[in-house]
Amino acid sequence: MPALLAKNLGKRYGRRWVLTRVDFAVEPGEVYALAGPNGSGKTTIIRLVTGLAFPSAGEVRLLGENVHEAGWRARRHLGAVVEAPAAFYPHLTGRQNLERMAWMSGLKDPTARIREVLHRLELLAVADQRVGSYSLGQRQRLGIAAAILARPRVLVLDEPTSGLDPDGIQKVHELLAEEAGRGVAVLVSTHHLREISAYANRVGILSGGRLVDEVELRPDRPRYRLLVADPERAAALLKTVPGLTGVKLRGEEVLFEGEPEQAVFALAQAGIAVRELTRDHFDLYAYYRERVSGV
Amino acid sequence: MFRFYLWELEKLFFLKPVRIGLVAAFLLPVIWSLAPGLERVYGLVLVSGWQVPALSLLAGMEFLFPFLVAMVAAEVLGAEVTMGTLKPVLLRPISRTRLVVVKLAAALSFPYLLLFASLLGALFAGAFHGFGGFYGGTGLGAGGFAGVGYLTPGAAFAEILRAYLLAGATLFPIAALAVFYAALFLSTTASALATLATVLLMRMLVVFPALVPLLLTRYLDLYLRPEAAGPGLLLLFIYTLGFGALAVLVFERKDV
Repeated sequence: MPALLAKNLGKRYGRRWVLTRVDFAVEPGEVYALAGPNGSGKTTIIRLVTGLAFPSAGEVRLLGENVHEAGWRARRHLGAVVEAPAAFYPHLTGRQNLERMAWMSGLKDPTARIREVLHRLELLAVADQRVGSYSLGQRQRLGIAAAILARPRVLVLDEPTSGLDPDGIQKVHELLAEEAGRGVAVLVSTHHLREISAYANRVGILSGGRLVDEVELRPDRPRYRLLVADPERAAALLKTVPGLTGVKLRGEEVLFEGEPEQAVFALAQAGIAVRELTRDHFDLYAYYRERVSGV
Repeated sequence: MFRFYLWELEKLFFLKPVRIGLVAAFLLPVIWSLAPGLERVYGLVLVSGWQVPALSLLAGMEFLFPFLVAMVAAEVLGAEVTMGTLKPVLLRPISRTRLVVVKLAAALSFPYLLLFASLLGALFAGAFHGFGGFYGGTGLGAGGFAGVGYLTPGAAFAEILRAYLLAGATLFPIAALAVFYAALFLSTTASALATLATVLLMRMLVVFPALVPLLLTRYLDLYLRPEAAGPGLLLLFIYTLGFGALAVLVFERKDV
């Protein structure tokens, strides 16, 4: 069962559909990134899947429960940041804000957990200052701390790195990867495609309120690029080698997934000279631009 | 639930309109008791400190108190929208109904907080005239300010307390109406304006005599007519409950 499932999701304001027929699923331990230009529907999807807004069509299931029918019960396992920067009560300190959140989430004896998340987001030094005095980045990090506070099984974040400095962005990406590693399903909307492609499992590309493409990134299975004397023969050969997958031609290059030593050995045995072997980093940004401009 | 309510009350005290309202309610009787035109406008020469609270109610209930109650009740939900804190709260496993009910309870507490501040101001201002027994009336009981003879301090205080309790109850539907509009518009200004517009419209509906007994504005001076408290309070209670239920219904499926 997917941790988060959006089925035929649609949203209409008056007569205008801002989102149509969006389907996607996020499995436990998976990072699913939503990418798209401004106004493509990313935030609408985030608001719909977190139950803040109600769909005009379709449904959202969180761990099997309909978010809009089951109400608060479906949100027991949800952690989310839906606005950048995250909003807090400015007259309370960061710690007091988290205490209120912990209480609303029903966390028993939250003191240690609050300290832990503040430490993780490097906010301990300002924990007892009023949030009104926080910088944009500190507020955003406090938002992420609040989102992971109750150890959610589904994490939904809208532009979580907005307003953060490069160190902060890196920290957030590390944290999301860690959370996914613990089995948390992560849905994140972002413009930082190159960073997210390092650890996201899939990217949904939105344009004009539709999910126009879904790219599987498989960061656990690196892809390689070969420059060889006879690319067509090399590709045909590599397709027959056990353990190598995704063999295909891209211009004069041969792409494949699997052990590079195995590929080179097979090519050498067949007498095909290898001129260059490098890791092929999928350029999500270039692909995204191509897909969005093509719609 | 009670802890939730206390937290809402705590948040209430950090709202600017609340602080401004409480200060205004406190100052109103102080200023009025010193006003040189009291005799000309109200035909009153203050002879006792027990007469000052009535001055505060007469002046405040005309417009200021209903306005402040509408403003603050709208702000109870509207401020969360403005600050952006409503979304984080709704992301927690808390039912929307519970949230609105607690906010409604906080909004309904405000009329009495306001009147308490007003009473404190009145007692402070009244202290200069003394709180002994006197010949005359509090302005809130039989005979108005002229009274019907000698009034003991205990009887005067009882009249004032009854009037303030009734005045608070008459402000309940206005608070509930503002919360309903706030749930509908998710904006303090729009909700407060809509509430005041509704109240003013109801005042104008006196041109339809059949409707008059059903208008909540008909009972805004209930503190001066305690004999009408029975049917009046019942109607005000129905209005409050109705507006509250509408607020819950609207907010339950409201996009935030």
